[in-house]
Order: sequence, then structure tokens, then C-alpha cells
Amino acid sequence: MKCSCYSFRRKLLATVVSISLPVMALAESSNADLQMQIDSLQNQVTALNSEVQQAAEWKNPNTLVHMAGYADVGFVSPEKGNDSFVIGTFAPIFHFQYRDVVMLESELEFQISEDGETEVNLEYLTIDWFVSDYATILAGKFLSPVGQFRQNLHPSWINKLPSAPPGFGHDGAAPISDLGLQVRGGFPIGGIRTNYAVYASNGPELNSETEDEIEFELEGVRAEGFGADRDGDKTLGGRFAILPVSSIEIGLSFATGKATVTELENGVEPPTVGLESGFIGNETARDYDVIGADFVWFTGNFSFRGEYVKTEIGEAVTGVTMGEGGTWESLYTQLAYRLPGTKWEAAIRYGDFDSPHDSQDVTQTMLGINYLVSNNFIAKLGYEINDGVAGSPVDDDRTLLQLAYGF
Amino acid sequence: MKNIYKKIHYQVFKLSGIGMLLLAAGYSLPIIAADFPQAGNFSDGAKVWAENCNRCHNMRGPKELKDDQWISTAFHMRVRAGLTGQETRDIITFLQASNTKTVASGSTLVSAVISKGATGKETYEKTCIACHGNDGKGTLPGTPNFTISGGVLSKTDEVLIDHITNGFQGADSPMAMPPRGGNANLSTADISAVLKYIREAFGE
Repeated sequence: MKCSCYSFRRKLLATVVSISLPVMALAESSNADLQMQIDSLQNQVTALNSEVQQAAEWKNPNTLVHMAGYADVGFVSPEKGNDSFVIGTFAPIFHFQYRDVVMLESELEFQISEDGETEVNLEYLTIDWFVSDYATILAGKFLSPVGQFRQNLHPSWINKLPSAPPGFGHDGAAPISDLGLQVRGGFPIGGIRTNYAVYASNGPELNSETEDEIEFELEGVRAEGFGADRDGDKTLGGRFAILPVSSIEIGLSFATGKATVTELENGVEPPTVGLESGFIGNETARDYDVIGADFVWFTGNFSFRGEYVKTEIGEAVTGVTMGEGGTWESLYTQLAYRLPGTKWEAAIRYGDFDSPHDSQDVTQTMLGINYLVSNNFIAKLGYEINDGVAGSPVDDDRTLLQLAYGF
Repeated sequence: MKNIYKKIHYQVFKLSGIGMLLLAAGYSLPIIAADFPQAGNFSDGAKVWAENCNRCHNMRGPKELKDDQWISTAFHMRVRAGLTGQETRDIITFLQASNTKTVASGSTLVSAVISKGATGKETYEKTCIACHGNDGKGTLPGTPNFTISGGVLSKTDEVLIDHITNGFQGADSPMAMPPRGGNANLSTADISAVLKYIREAFGE
């Protein structure tokens, strides 16, 4: 009996061992697999952590570099001239920002002239110092804050029509840019929003034209951010705007200072008298005064805006240019309507430009239809009806096609 | 005589300009804020964005740019549009919260947020009103008019909750509504409540 019990125990032991050995071997194998998977997961988590840290590092750095801008290309078909494909402007804008303290803003303007040459201009370059929630100090060359069109509406992807209103381009009634110091910002008065800009700058220069190279008369005001103050007096200007309700903005602008003739037509050499004073041809500093008013009302698919600006140049007692002063005056109103439920937009603009020279004066009505491929990529078709002195360059109707892209 | 007045005016303008410059510098912030960008208010940002950008140019949708790009863009616009510093911070907060990618219809984002018990009206006035307007007719081009018979409110609750939750862009709309209207804190219960409010306030 004792013998059979012993035999049973031996068999049981043998059975247990024979079963356990493969199971233990299997367990060891599973543990090794699990360990490998854990190691692999740990490696992946470590790699992901590294990537997340790098992403977070870039997300909010103290210095930001950013590029924006716009470009447009098109086709112009005048009634009395040849049709041409054109490149309007390529205007990259660079931003270099240090926290909420300072931002360097610069816009370059590339254009192709009729003879194929590439022209590059510095549209503006300012260092913006955010000194408080309500004021930013700008130093450098800035877009003129007189009115709305030059400082906010002229980029082609913003302008509802493929051309600028008469008098709001170069050598018009509205200043383009200026070089100096500006303070601007916004502040609430109760529940009403306001914004403002005041500046001191070098101011504009004047140019003269002649028919007989003996007698000169004022041709135009060049308010394009000159790097020297040839007349010696700083120009002061600014704009104040109020928004009685959020959909309406009404602004008033001014500029006052001095300006002198610095360029005569066709490179005619001026008399050397007075060169030591900084004036050419015994010219003197003339009064320079600008006033402007602008408004915009927008609601839903509809926007209505308008602008008026008048530039006056005073008389001069001496100089190679005739003593009379001059007045350049321009206004426009524009209506735009986005067709509900579509990407189509219609726009109409009426503009009028008066200057001391009849050959430059023009009354313009422009009709346009736009297709908004996206909000910043717009195809525009416009037709300008220009009414000027018969035979003058401005008395020519035009059809314009434009593709504008803001980036 | 005219010249004397002219000279007096010129001096007054000159002194006024210098005075404003000194005033601005005197009120400048002497300490650089610890956080950059400083947090703003989401709903105020939505309102400022809806009320200001369209005044000059077509609206740029929140998802057109990344978070850091919106910072520089907003500061650029602070200078251009005469925004205050607080308005700029609010807009940045709104745009950064709203540039989440729109999820394809049918899928569902998991809400980890527990409802704080806001009513539909409160949620509408905090999150939706900037674009959809006080009267539900829409303040921006492409935003649907809730009051039109047979319009967007004729869709089922299931479809509209999916649009609110995951974001939606209509075929003729220039930009998309961000998921949860850009307010990631909206819970499923908040979304149901705001849809109920929209139907009651603006529906037939």
C-alpha cells in the first residue's frame, strides 16, 4: 500500500513538472514580449514629448517673424490705345515683432514699367512702439493718415475696383506717405469707439512744368515721404475718427506746413541763385494745407463709403516758378454690394478730381463686378468712364481686368 | 495779418503734436507683461473682430492663419485700425481659439467639458451673437439668416448639432464656422440648449 502511494506521488510530480515547464517557458516568452512593447512605447512617448516641447517652444517665442502682403496682375484695354497685360504690384510686407513691445513693419513695392524695367520702392518702413493700450509711436516712413484710402484701402485685394479713385494716386490731391514721427491709436469715449493719428514729418515737395523752358508753373504736389526737409519747416497733420455705432466711421483729417519746388520739368537746370539756402532757383517755402473728410457705413452685404480731400499750396513772392498758388481737390463715393448666397459682388464708384491744370481734371464713373474665389483672392472686371478735357490722356474710357491676391 | 494767423496756427499745431507725444509716452507701460501674448476675452474678441475687420476688407477666417501668425497680424491691424491694446488681445484670443480644423460631418468630437449650466440665451450672447447677430439675421456676408422660412433652421437637430459641434462651411460662404463657434468650453448640453434657444427666438 505504501508502495502504491509512493508511486502515485511520483507520477503526480512528474505530471506537474511536465505541465509546468512549457507554461513557465511560455510565461517567460510573454514577459519578454511585453517588456519589448513597453520599451517601444517608452521610446515613442519620449520622441513625442520631444516633438511637443519643440512645438510649444515655437508657439509663443518672444520674437515673431511674419510676412504678409498682396499682389495683382491684370489686363488694361483703353478705348484709344493698345490693350496690354500688366503686372500691377507685388507688395510683400515684413513684420518683425518683439512681444507686445515693438514691431518693425516694412512694405516693398515691386512694379514693372512700360519699358520692362523692374521698379522697387519702399512703400513704408516704421518702427512701431506700443507704449500703452491707447497709443503707438511710429517712427520712419509711413502711409499718410490723411483720409482712409491711402492708409487702409489701396491694397488691390481690399480695393473693390481695379483702379484708385482719381486724385488718390500719385501726384493727386491726397498725400501718399510721409517721413517723420507719428502717434496713433484708439480709445473709447463711453461706449463709443474712436481712433486718431497725429504726426510731424518732412512734408511734401513741389514740381514745376514749363512750355518754353523760361516760364514755369506749379505742376503738382509730391507727398511721397521724402528723406529730407528741403523747405526747412516740419509738416504737422493727423486724423480723428469716431464710430457712433460700430457700422459707421466718420473721420476728419488735416495737414499743415510748408513746401517748396524741388524739381523742374525735363531736368531743366534752375538758376543757381539761392542754392545755398536749400531752395532751387530762388524758390521760397510756400504754405501747404490739407483738409479731408471720410466716412464708411457697412451692414451685412452692403458697404457705402466716401472721401474728400483738398490740398492748397500758397503763393510765392520769388522763385523761378510763377508766384500763383494752387488747389488740388478730389472726392469719391463708392457703393459695393455682395449678392446674397453667391461669391459675386457689384461695385460702383463716382470720383472727381480738380487741379490747377485743366488737362489733369477728370470726372470718373466706374462700374465693377467681382468674383470672390476666396475672401483674399478676387477676380475683378471694371469699366471706367472718364470725362476730361477732350484729347487729354485722362479723357479715355478703359476696361480693366484684375486678379488680386492678399496673403 | 493772414500770415501772422498762419504762424500762430502753425505753432499751436506744433505744440499740440509735441504735447500728445509726451502724453502718450507718459502713459506708457513701464513693465513688460509677464505673459506673451496676454490672454484676452474670447467673446469680446469675437465682437471686435466682427465689428471692425469688415469695415475695410473682406473677413479673413480664423483658420486662415496659425496662432503665431495671428499675433503679428493682429498687432499690424492694431496700428492700422486704431484698435486698443485690450481689443487686440481679445481678437487674438478669439482667433487662436477658433482656428481649429473643421471636422468632417458625421464624425463627433469628444467633449471633455462638463456643462456649467449656462442657458441657451447666455451661450448665444456669449459665443454666437458676434457673427449671427442679435436678431439672428447674420452680421457677416455668408452667415445664414435664421429667420428665413425654409432656411437653415429647417434642418434637423441632429444635423445642426453636428454642424455646431464640428464646424461647418456652406457652399456659398466665404469662411467656416469654427467647431463649437470657436468656444471649446461649450459642452454637448450647452450646444443643445443654444440650438433650442435659436429655434425659439428666431424660428417659425
